Amino acid sequence: MYGNGSEEARTAAGQGTEASEARESRDLAERAKFGDTEAFGELIERHRKRAKGWAQRMTGDPHLADDIVQDALIRAFLHIGSLQDTSRFLPWLHKIVRNQANMRLRRGGPGRREKPFASFAAPTARDRVDWDDLDSVLHHLTRCAADAAKTDHDPERHLLRQELYETIHSVLHCLTRKERGIFEAYFFRQLSPDEIAALYRMTTGSVYTYIHRSRRKLRQEHIRVSLGLLPEKGENAMARRKLLELPEWPARDAVNLTFVDRIGHLLAALEDRRDLSELMGLSGFAFRMQISDKTTFADGIYMFDWRETLRTLMRELGYETTLLCGQLSDSPVPLLGAVERFPVVLPIEEAVLPTIRQSIDAGRPVLYFDTSAARPYVHEWSLIYGYDDEERTVRLTDAMRPDGKTVSYEEVADNPVRFLATFRRQPEREETAVRSETSAQTRLRAEAAIRSAVAHARNERAYRPMTVYLSYTSGLAAYDRWIRHLRAGPASPPNRYGMGQLAAVYAEAKKHAARYLRLVPLEGEAMRLTLLASEAYEQAAEAIGAVSAAVPFARAAEMLSPELCEKCAKLLETAKAFEAAATGYLEKAIGYFEKELRA
Amino acid sequence: MSEKTEIRLMTDFANLHNLMNAKESFERARPDVRITIGQAADHYELMRAYKSEEPPDIIESGGWALFNYKGMFVDLLPCIDEMPGMRGDLNPGIVRVACKDGSLPGLPVDVALPLIAFNKELFDRAGLAYPTDDWTWEEMMELARKLTIRDERGVATQFGFGIGVDIEELEPFVMRNGGRYVSPDGLTARGCVDQPAVAEAFRLLIDAYRVHRVIRNPGEPSEAGHLHEGFGMVFAFTWFVGGLVHHGLDDKFGVVGLPNMPGAEQANMIYMGAAGITSKSRHPRPAWEFLRHYVLERPEAFRQPRTLPVTGSLAERSGMKDHRLWSRYVRELENVRISAFYMNEKWNSSRQLINEEVQRMILDGTDIGHTLKSWTRFA
Repeated sequence: MYGNGSEEARTAAGQGTEASEARESRDLAERAKFGDTEAFGELIERHRKRAKGWAQRMTGDPHLADDIVQDALIRAFLHIGSLQDTSRFLPWLHKIVRNQANMRLRRGGPGRREKPFASFAAPTARDRVDWDDLDSVLHHLTRCAADAAKTDHDPERHLLRQELYETIHSVLHCLTRKERGIFEAYFFRQLSPDEIAALYRMTTGSVYTYIHRSRRKLRQEHIRVSLGLLPEKGENAMARRKLLELPEWPARDAVNLTFVDRIGHLLAALEDRRDLSELMGLSGFAFRMQISDKTTFADGIYMFDWRETLRTLMRELGYETTLLCGQLSDSPVPLLGAVERFPVVLPIEEAVLPTIRQSIDAGRPVLYFDTSAARPYVHEWSLIYGYDDEERTVRLTDAMRPDGKTVSYEEVADNPVRFLATFRRQPEREETAVRSETSAQTRLRAEAAIRSAVAHARNERAYRPMTVYLSYTSGLAAYDRWIRHLRAGPASPPNRYGMGQLAAVYAEAKKHAARYLRLVPLEGEAMRLTLLASEAYEQAAEAIGAVSAAVPFARAAEMLSPELCEKCAKLLETAKAFEAAATGYLEKAIGYFEKELRA
Repeated sequence: MSEKTEIRLMTDFANLHNLMNAKESFERARPDVRITIGQAADHYELMRAYKSEEPPDIIESGGWALFNYKGMFVDLLPCIDEMPGMRGDLNPGIVRVACKDGSLPGLPVDVALPLIAFNKELFDRAGLAYPTDDWTWEEMMELARKLTIRDERGVATQFGFGIGVDIEELEPFVMRNGGRYVSPDGLTARGCVDQPAVAEAFRLLIDAYRVHRVIRNPGEPSEAGHLHEGFGMVFAFTWFVGGLVHHGLDDKFGVVGLPNMPGAEQANMIYMGAAGITSKSRHPRPAWEFLRHYVLERPEAFRQPRTLPVTGSLAERSGMKDHRLWSRYVRELENVRISAFYMNEKWNSSRQLINEEVQRMILDGTDIGHTLKSWTRFA
């Protein structure tokens, strides 16, 4: 009986596998279309063997098949932007492999394109493209991107792709076969230098030399010139720089929750300044509370799905988000509960700098997770608002440094948490300001925010890291967890530093919850109940504010005294009672929305 | 009176009871030294502290990642050798895992490993004989099926086996089947995680969730209560047994080794952290004296234990060596091997991505062999 069950399960498993494989490949191809090298690397990893099988069946030569696959994958990367239907990635790749194999079989012999750097020259005839020649194709694509960038009303995407072509072009075609293999392994397949060394039977030091040499070649200015790419006006072709002027963001306008604060600042830079209570309310952060099950470490503040939360919020606000995210595995990484779900990437500058340059050039700051934030912070979201190729630095904000700070390219690439996001207005909202929405839409948005606030309050496991060793308690139950930490006794004293940040962030969040609820455009009994909830949040904020005053957000090594712990626990009990009441009022208000909906 | 020597210690542990007790007794014996304890939320903060202008003398961490950094900690083996008989007293299984390239970067703390704890009451109620160390996976599944009880709606009121969904916790079953996630040098998963012994172990494990349904599936409704209530057998780390003893429930349970897998290897995993003296310590000698006191000289730390002692004499003096349940854990230390998450940081950092895929194997039935092959990208 169990045997049969197992058989059925596995048959179903096979079908499930194909469907989920196809879905994953489609998602990866979608990301790769936007220039995400990590996603492309994963696609390669998944399909390399299959691609080699195709090539080998056509040629009967495993070594030639390797060369064909390498070329095919590079072509696939270059062309992926033109792939209309990302669910057709595999058949599309198959076609590219087949074409490459046919070309090789016609021409015979590998190594045709291995040229010394000096022999690299611009094509002679501007309009002629030899589609069998990778050099010619690359020139053509680069030129097309440059032309498109000059004429298109929104040249940003073309510029990005142009930069990509240039990068690949200038590196790959200056390289010997071995250098190309190493570069591809490092850049696309994300292998470590140790692994590449093992693969090519060479020392790790030699791998570094190869990679360094490839990068140096990339930086040669005359490649850019040989392609006929003129620098932007007033800028040096080799070393560009740009510094955006950010709107003023005085401390009184800021919120302690830097995720929302930086989004507010960024929107202001895009001339779309928002009320921060509105942002806190719409994003749900005014109502969120989460505490680590271990102790009063502050990491609960950061535990949510960064990618999904950011995309959803920005979509609501009328923006499309492009993300680069990953984690480095060769250095300790903070906030594992959230960050361990990012792919492991290598500290490659080329993987992050084009995104930064492109966004800054378009006048838009980049949302960036900074792991070198000034004390008392350890890490926070910031905005990159300038870069300088000559100095090899970026300029970014820091919550504790009103004038911002400078960080080297190397530090950006070496950041153990890679999280950069760029934004652009949704095309359909280009012309229409978000706030021209109808009052009905505004009301619906407010109702959704209130439903989400109640759902969060009642959900004690809002975010579950995919591991058994990290867990967090959220919503109203978070108060109980926090109080339990405070009353755990001398064996488990609460963490003072984390406690200070928790109190500062959550006291302020509740204040914004109160203010947001006062501003929502509801009517009648629903509004009366919402105002009562607002008042209750105000009281909760006051109680947590008293905790914050007793345990300020500052670096301090000493332990909290049992008396202070008890005082804070009592304050949190008060805060919980008020927030429970607020949740009750909001639930009743939801009852009125639904009654109206039915009517 | 001369100024006290300050030893700065940073830890990422949340429970500081043992550490505070050690500080108190050490400072009593050494009034010329003050131990200052600071807490960090994770490895990242510990590393920042190490790189800061005021680096700690001692770093204690609940994992092994920091201790793999070359040059960050001083080798403690010369200090161990100064203590007559200490080399021989240190548990050889623990030393095997903790030493790298012939050096010991930290004294292991928080040592734990899993066995199977079985609920004798539930076994008695079902009329089943208690398992013994020679049992097989097949026999375990047979017991688990008999111990799983579902109501008319299909909701389990009792599960045969309690274990989470975590790649680390599945590793001992893979080891016991003769497989491994990464190569012995830790450099790659190629030729390891994609091998038949791993696939076979995974097939058996995933069937336990998906086909036999003797383990609670992710998101599955349950009325089985906590692990000590409605679970016939539990994948029980030392802290589970510590909790049973603490709450006076230990009489209801027995412990037995992990079942024998078809590959017939005797192996188990081990969790441990360590406390080490940083290479930037300005007071390495008193720092070592404190460490020695903290980790090696205090049997009282294991009077109400949740973890295992690192020496034979501590096991004996604390009474763990002769305890009905604890003695089996102490004995199991002979079988421990180094896990993939200690050897390969990329693998370690990818655990949540891997766990998502394990979950998909259980819930969606994604192909095991194909998925395991794809995991070569994680190491």
